[in-house]
Amino acid sequence: MEREIICRCEEVTREEIMDAIRMGDASLSAIKRRTRAGMGFCQGRTCRKLIARILSAYYHMPVSSFLPGSIRMPVTPISLGELADLKDGAEEEGGERK
Amino acid sequence: MLFRIKEHPVLEIPEVRKFNIFYNGEPLEAYEGETVAATLLAHGVKAFRRTERFHEPRGIFCGIGQCTDCIMEVDGKPNVRTCVTLVHPGMVVRTQEGCSGENEAKHDNL
Amino acid sequence: MITYDVVVVGAGPAGLSASIEAAKSGCSVLLLDENPRPGGQLYKQIHKFFGMKEHYAGSRGFEIADLLFARAGEAGVKVSLNTKVWGIFPDGSITASGPEGSIRYKASLIILATGASENALSFPGSTLPGIITAGAAQTFANVYHVLPGKEIVMVGSGNVGLIVSYQLMQAGADVKMIVEAMPEVSGYLVHAGKVRRMGVPILLSHTIVRAVGTDHLEAVDIAELDEKMQPVPGKTERVPCDTVCISVGFSPRLDLADVGKCRIVYEPVLGGMLPWHNENMQTSMDRILIAGDLSGVEEASTALDEGRMAGTYAAYKLGRMKKEEFETEKAAIMKRLDILRSGPFGSRRKEAKKSVWEDRNFGT
Repeated sequence: MEREIICRCEEVTREEIMDAIRMGDASLSAIKRRTRAGMGFCQGRTCRKLIARILSAYYHMPVSSFLPGSIRMPVTPISLGELADLKDGAEEEGGERK
Repeated sequence: MLFRIKEHPVLEIPEVRKFNIFYNGEPLEAYEGETVAATLLAHGVKAFRRTERFHEPRGIFCGIGQCTDCIMEVDGKPNVRTCVTLVHPGMVVRTQEGCSGENEAKHDNL
Repeated sequence: MITYDVVVVGAGPAGLSASIEAAKSGCSVLLLDENPRPGGQLYKQIHKFFGMKEHYAGSRGFEIADLLFARAGEAGVKVSLNTKVWGIFPDGSITASGPEGSIRYKASLIILATGASENALSFPGSTLPGIITAGAAQTFANVYHVLPGKEIVMVGSGNVGLIVSYQLMQAGADVKMIVEAMPEVSGYLVHAGKVRRMGVPILLSHTIVRAVGTDHLEAVDIAELDEKMQPVPGKTERVPCDTVCISVGFSPRLDLADVGKCRIVYEPVLGGMLPWHNENMQTSMDRILIAGDLSGVEEASTALDEGRMAGTYAAYKLGRMKKEEFETEKAAIMKRLDILRSGPFGSRRKEAKKSVWEDRNFGT
């Protein structure tokens, strides 16, 4: 098979995903644990639907059976510093914060 | 600079402040208010980094800060999403090798 | 810590409209957006919108964005841009990371208007520099006035593929062709006509099977597809190009809705997985309403009206609007949405929305 990258962040190929499925993986989570697809910087945002389609074609089940997958907070990358520094929104009168 | 649009049938192309940023040591003219990615594309630079596993070239993909294909080392910090980072005068941009800065990659070889 | 009546996430047409309606009825509203400028998809649209005056017919997208933002300010909406919302909690807390660091806000009601993101496509070589989404091409050309490339192949003949092809031609690029896997054009024929008149051929039942190049894209192999959507052997042509734009649909950005525990349903006509909601834009979580493309991928005009619906319902739900006024407003909005959802494309979306509202999709 020509190399076709499915998970761009972790560089997981279609062949590797197919291998994982043949070994019994039947969910985004299982494939993620075995291949790292969906574990990279974008946390599966780009490849989620692509992998669901591959699963759907293999198992002859609708894509909705495999989506949305497990999503966790923070839903966008934040630094540990930002997490530690969490403060309550201050009292403010009017105006615009930019 | 062949990729900058100078005239447009519908849009007004405004005059803005220009300054240099540095790309792998080379000065590139940047326009105030644009992203690092826009500056690089304007100068025909397409490959922003090489990936960790297959050492493949990557550049822009989604353009909105979601996919992280466009990450580069900016002012010494690796993994900066160039498509959502605005340029400033004297900014230092370098091709990123793998998942972190060049210096960290050197440590991996020890 | 103050509790806002309403916190709106996303300052696109839906979020801006929702904020304006809620604020006009006396709600305290905080509007958050991760971008440095408001308007969502609007700010990169340079073509004139058509339709009703309530949908700003005759104005260009970026003009509508500026107008709405000004109106939000006038209505007393507090805005925080460059602010990425990363968490949402059952007590109405929202955590975000912005110019002032990491902050937790509290809201009685939350309106999620996070929009939709472009779908990816994969094929051998699809990670080569030069292969970008149509939206990315649009941002570079229309916002930063930079051409992403000179010789472009567009994948997808939906409205975005057609419009962006046209805009790239306007910007001075050569869009060599549009490839569409289906046997017919997916977008409005008025857009297809415009693009064809500019000399851009639309190849139906064709797709890219591989991209080649060393340090960046140099060419793509385009194959004809048979009725089973499989490449016909021997019918592959190599087309030199420096850019491929991918426009194969959008998917609602439901991460926040999902971690907020909203029930997610599947509706392919509207982009796939999306948060269940009713006509009032109420999700399965009492505190969370949604609006715009997040609730189903449609258009800017439907986003504007759904935003109005969510903002109006929020005001009513919080007791800032009397029932009678709410019913009148709702009737006007629903009537406009009905008109927007007409014609061959619109009526499919109307059916799909009804199907979600009436919850016919149990078990997804």
